Amino acid sequence: MSQPAHARINVDLLRPLLRTSWRFYFLVAALGSIVLTALVSWLSQAFFGFGVTGIRWPVYWGFYVTNFVFWIGISHAGTLISAILRLVDAGWRRPVTRCAEVITVFALMIGAMFPIIHLGRPWLAFWLFPYPSERLIWPNFRSPLVWDFFAINTYLTGSVLFLVLPMIPDFAVVRDKATGVRKTIYTYLACGWRGTPRQWHRLETAMQIMAIGIVPVAVSVHTIVSFDFSMAPVPMWQSTIFGPYFVVGAIFSGIAGLLIAMAVLRKVLHLQDYLHPVHFQNLGKLLLVMALLWGYFVFNERLVTYYGNGPSEMAVFWRTQRESFAPLYWTMVICNFVLPLVLMGIRYFRTITGCVIASLGVVVGMWLERFLIIVPSLGHKYLPYSYGIYRPQPVEIIIAIATFAAMMLLYVLFAKLVPIISIWELKAGRASASLAEAVGEGGDARPVARGEANL
Amino acid sequence: MDRRSFIRLTAISGTGAALASCGTPENELIRFVPDEDIVPGQAVFKPSVCPLCSAGCGLTVRLMDADADVMRNGKSGVVRILAAKKLEGNAAYPVNAGALCARGQAAIQTTYHPDRITQPLKRSGQRGDGRYAAMSWDDAIGEVVKQLDALETAGKQKALAFFSRSNRGHRSALIAHFLARFGAPASISYDIFGDEVLRRANAISFGREQQPTFDLPNARHVISFGADFLGTWNSPVSQGHGYGLMRQGRSGVRGTLAQVEARMSQTGANADEWVPAKPGSEGVIALGLAHLLMMEKLRTAAAAGRAGAAIDGWSAGLPDYAPERVESLSGVSTARLTRLAHALAERTPSVAIVGGAPLAHTNGLVTALAVNALNALLGSVEKPGGLFFTPQINLAAASKAPAATPSPSESLDKAAAAAQVVLIDGANPLFTAAPEWKLREALQQVPFIASFSTFLDETTAMADVILPDHTFLESFAEALPESGSLTAVVGAAPAAMKPLHDTRATPDVLIEISQKLARPLNLPWMTFEEMLTATFMALPAMTEGSDAWTDAQEKGGWWGTLPARLVTQAAATPAATKPIAYAEPGFDGDATQYPLHFLPYSSSAFLDGSLAHLPWLQEMPDPITSAMWSSWVEINTATAAKLGIADGDVVEIASSHGTLRAPAVVSPGIAPDVVAMPAGQGHRTFTRYASGRGANPIEVLAPARVEGTDALAWAATRVKVTRVSGADGSLILFAGGSREEVRGRG
Amino acid sequence: MPKWGMAVDLDRCDGCGACVTACHAENNISTVGADQAARGRAKHWIRVERYWEGEFPDVRLKFRPVMCQHCDNAPCEPVCPTYASHHTPDGLNAQVYNRCIGTRYCANACPYNVRFFDFFNPSWDKPLHLQLNPDVSLREVGVMEKCTFCVQRIKATTIQAKSEDRPVKDGEIQPACAQACPSRALVFGDLSDPESEVSRLSRSPRGSKLLEDVGTKPSVTYLSKQ
Repeated sequence: MSQPAHARINVDLLRPLLRTSWRFYFLVAALGSIVLTALVSWLSQAFFGFGVTGIRWPVYWGFYVTNFVFWIGISHAGTLISAILRLVDAGWRRPVTRCAEVITVFALMIGAMFPIIHLGRPWLAFWLFPYPSERLIWPNFRSPLVWDFFAINTYLTGSVLFLVLPMIPDFAVVRDKATGVRKTIYTYLACGWRGTPRQWHRLETAMQIMAIGIVPVAVSVHTIVSFDFSMAPVPMWQSTIFGPYFVVGAIFSGIAGLLIAMAVLRKVLHLQDYLHPVHFQNLGKLLLVMALLWGYFVFNERLVTYYGNGPSEMAVFWRTQRESFAPLYWTMVICNFVLPLVLMGIRYFRTITGCVIASLGVVVGMWLERFLIIVPSLGHKYLPYSYGIYRPQPVEIIIAIATFAAMMLLYVLFAKLVPIISIWELKAGRASASLAEAVGEGGDARPVARGEANL
Repeated sequence: MDRRSFIRLTAISGTGAALASCGTPENELIRFVPDEDIVPGQAVFKPSVCPLCSAGCGLTVRLMDADADVMRNGKSGVVRILAAKKLEGNAAYPVNAGALCARGQAAIQTTYHPDRITQPLKRSGQRGDGRYAAMSWDDAIGEVVKQLDALETAGKQKALAFFSRSNRGHRSALIAHFLARFGAPASISYDIFGDEVLRRANAISFGREQQPTFDLPNARHVISFGADFLGTWNSPVSQGHGYGLMRQGRSGVRGTLAQVEARMSQTGANADEWVPAKPGSEGVIALGLAHLLMMEKLRTAAAAGRAGAAIDGWSAGLPDYAPERVESLSGVSTARLTRLAHALAERTPSVAIVGGAPLAHTNGLVTALAVNALNALLGSVEKPGGLFFTPQINLAAASKAPAATPSPSESLDKAAAAAQVVLIDGANPLFTAAPEWKLREALQQVPFIASFSTFLDETTAMADVILPDHTFLESFAEALPESGSLTAVVGAAPAAMKPLHDTRATPDVLIEISQKLARPLNLPWMTFEEMLTATFMALPAMTEGSDAWTDAQEKGGWWGTLPARLVTQAAATPAATKPIAYAEPGFDGDATQYPLHFLPYSSSAFLDGSLAHLPWLQEMPDPITSAMWSSWVEINTATAAKLGIADGDVVEIASSHGTLRAPAVVSPGIAPDVVAMPAGQGHRTFTRYASGRGANPIEVLAPARVEGTDALAWAATRVKVTRVSGADGSLILFAGGSREEVRGRG
Repeated sequence: MPKWGMAVDLDRCDGCGACVTACHAENNISTVGADQAARGRAKHWIRVERYWEGEFPDVRLKFRPVMCQHCDNAPCEPVCPTYASHHTPDGLNAQVYNRCIGTRYCANACPYNVRFFDFFNPSWDKPLHLQLNPDVSLREVGVMEKCTFCVQRIKATTIQAKSEDRPVKDGEIQPACAQACPSRALVFGDLSDPESEVSRLSRSPRGSKLLEDVGTKPSVTYLSKQ
């Protein structure tokens, strides 16, 4: 795990902030126009009426809720990677943590828009906020949607903190190197960081607390999102397995998202010296583990349903397994299970390219999985006279595509403004690694020369 | 901010606000003084009578205040009116006993329809292209008077053809008076799904040219031959009400129903035993059952009296109708026939009903006579649980006016061909006439056509002058129900609300025309109200200390036992009526080229199409298919598979007289050699809700007649069906699935 | 305190659909038109389900009117974030249009699929708007609506009875559907009065609840065909 020298680290990781090519502007313009199109589409929905979507009786949730669950799921990349790997002090995490935490924050922001996008009266979304209203009622705290509100906001706050805290030393580095307007901005962002041992101690403690605290928050968020489904008596929704199933799926899709982001960054920002194949391989192994876990949950759910043979449940079961939704269902199985197993399970394929292919498959597969949970069940509940078929309309498709564009746009902008790899952590890691070499095995891994790591 | 800025800001924004409120449209809205006393927010209930079908159900109208947009003296504004909000069944009225069918509920939309004709119109384009300009009432009436005077001068009074609705009642009587005194033939009330054949049969069998009434609440077993008596046939609300009582209205006794038909109707869906029968074989089945009853000595031939005597071979026990022959003709097994016969004999009182498609085959009259004879054999005629005839008031006797019977009219097509002047009152025969009658061509040749209709339908679009009628809520509503009640009913009610538009009540317009003719007709009454009052004055009061007319205006009519002299008596058997034998049905179209029987039927939503303009009815899911805003063709599951047709596929129906295209509905409730299609859609012109929507099954019908009558045999056409394309979105279904999942089905 | 409920006698129901149109007329339900009906937006608060059984010639067709069941254990109530769907003391599941923000969770949770969404602002071609019932609110785009057991009629009759200082008589309150039904298949009344007709019918051996095993405890009892 040899990293380049300190000076070179600064140069390489600050280059994107200091130099901008035409490619950047072109990308921002292209992505921005897609996002703008989606915004206009949504405004037209708010203006003309919700009927411009494909939602209908009785399939009242479709693309929007799929996107909601999907993006909240992607947001689990950051926490688990960052927090858990921090807690177990896995050294190889260092170049990866900020990439991951950024995904979390932006995916959460995108996902959290959907509870507003999918409302019939979005201008009243603020009623979910518990304030003493003139209507003399509070939100219904028994509703999973209100739990969503609190959980996502808590997670978002926590993730932002988790992201921003370790950025402070890096902001200080930029502050020291930058001039003019940039210097003013980064001085403000660096919050007076001097790099004193006391400040370092405070930062370490804060990171530890956040790392421990954010894990249950993350688990609870997607569990609560799963409650949006399992709290309704809908065939194949009322399943006690939904909580852990969704969390596993979220982590799964999060890792896949992270792998893709890392691969792209490595290529575009020339970070080959920082993001080594071993990083990808380790994450790839995690992807494999999650694929197996995901497969376990799906198999579990479906075997139990099949064994129970409830008529309404079996009607939905067959709908996905061999009737109208079968093509999507089996695509999902291949993308989420077969492909990762083959590509990540066989060492020969566990290359960066292999990881990216597997991850792309997982992203597609996990989006399909959310869709297949929602739509087949809603269209096929208990009374056959009321069955219905959902067909997404342009507004929903544009917004779905735009979420990916928005994610990329936010990421590109972030990478332009903040070093995408945490400089001080990388240096600290290098320092402790060389220290470990110096003292031999079993040495105290705590970096003594923290002060040196500046910067 | 400083003081100066504050003052400046306040002045500017204040002025701006004041200016902004000037010139807003709301301030220019004129509120006219109401024409009537209205207490806001308080509901008022008034009686009325539903005009949409021949049942003549009584209504209670709920009225509340509303603001109507009006134009007065060239200025637009609003005026508070007492507006009808909801129609309910009149709880005291015998026919419907407080209930009301879906169509009756939607009747309120005729009054508020956006495409109503709101004033007299004069044709300004070519005949049939629907372009009209406003004209005054005086001019409109003057034009009609001028045309009738011209006929009078030329001695061609017989060249006046009058197309009317088929309701019996005072309006029809007034029209009859008018035509008789003018010298024109009787009005033609062509109703494709009307029961002309059944009335004729009832006249022969029972002396009553009238639709029957069934005492269902006391019946223990009913067999219906094709009659959709719970849906669209005869008096559906009264029959539905009776059906409910028949099933669960008596402790420990549950009436049963058997239905014999080729296509499962809404009524047939409720049957305890559904008997598919070959089209046109219902008569032979009835005779087969009668044969079994007589052969097994469960009933005696003589019991059938006059009705039995009308059937050839009756007194001998119908030897030609042994079960084996009946089975071969009808497809109903001998075992089943025996079971059906025993049910009729044992579960008494039992009664047989016939209507709909069986009476629309070429042998329809025989079928009706056969079922009448069966009823007589069962002893159900004028007995509890059986078949009755609602006592009918003799209007001529009641009004003391001299009777006026115009000469009989020709059939629709002949009359149109010979006419010089055609007057249309609420009828749309261009939509329901058989295409081969060439009615449109005939009407094109008529020099003058005037219509009193409220809507621009196909027939009214041929008119030169339109004198729009009020809707029933805006004028005297009345009906003389010929069925649906065991006691006599004379329905009548004053207008429930003031007219919304510049329309006039047609009966009063006819009276005015009659007075303005060069040779005034001197009708016995000056107004329609006078005519109604005259009838009611002859009736005893319903409440003490009152009179029948005052009672009627509060209750919505008169009902009870008619004084003897006012009752229309049964007629004696027509002399020299030969007993009739069963004839097999004849079909138009070669069986190899046209392998399927075509069955148009009166639809729940639109009946014969006269209600397709009402949006609630367009959006109401059909009871059998759940279709909305659509036309469709019902095809048997196996037949559809053979022809490669799936639900929603567009198919072409071709007879030797026409073709049409419509989406298919694959149905297990129809015989493999039959395809069925609801009537009602396929209007060329009929307001924004129905124009250009769907297809009209009548357009492929052969001009076959029911033998012995003038009625169109609308079930006698054979067709072929071919798949044209996949679904084109024209079939709109409310329902998703049509079967409940069966437990354990993998 | 009354507890409102309904009995539906499937032996009396003949599938005519009068209840469907009566409900539209009473409750200001907008007609959505052919295009929107094709996209699944028709709002039939009460519908008459029909199910085929068997194949020709041994085929049967069954009718079943389904409206909001006003469940005692309504799954639509806990999930509404704004209390738009809530239970009243007299046993109704109330839908407060003004609180609804249109998450549509309630409609998903309803096993009977009796909740309908306003996809567009309703409109009536003038002067059809003159028919609108002043006692029933119009719903704007984005809110859920469903059968209310004609709560406006319940309220009006209750207030009337109170002003006359007498109890409400059994059968005095008739929702539009029950009043229109020719065969009297729909009976509405107070389930807490053991002598009312609806209570008597609910005790019938032919009686059962729709989707009983889902555990919603509906207030509507269906009497099967004998």
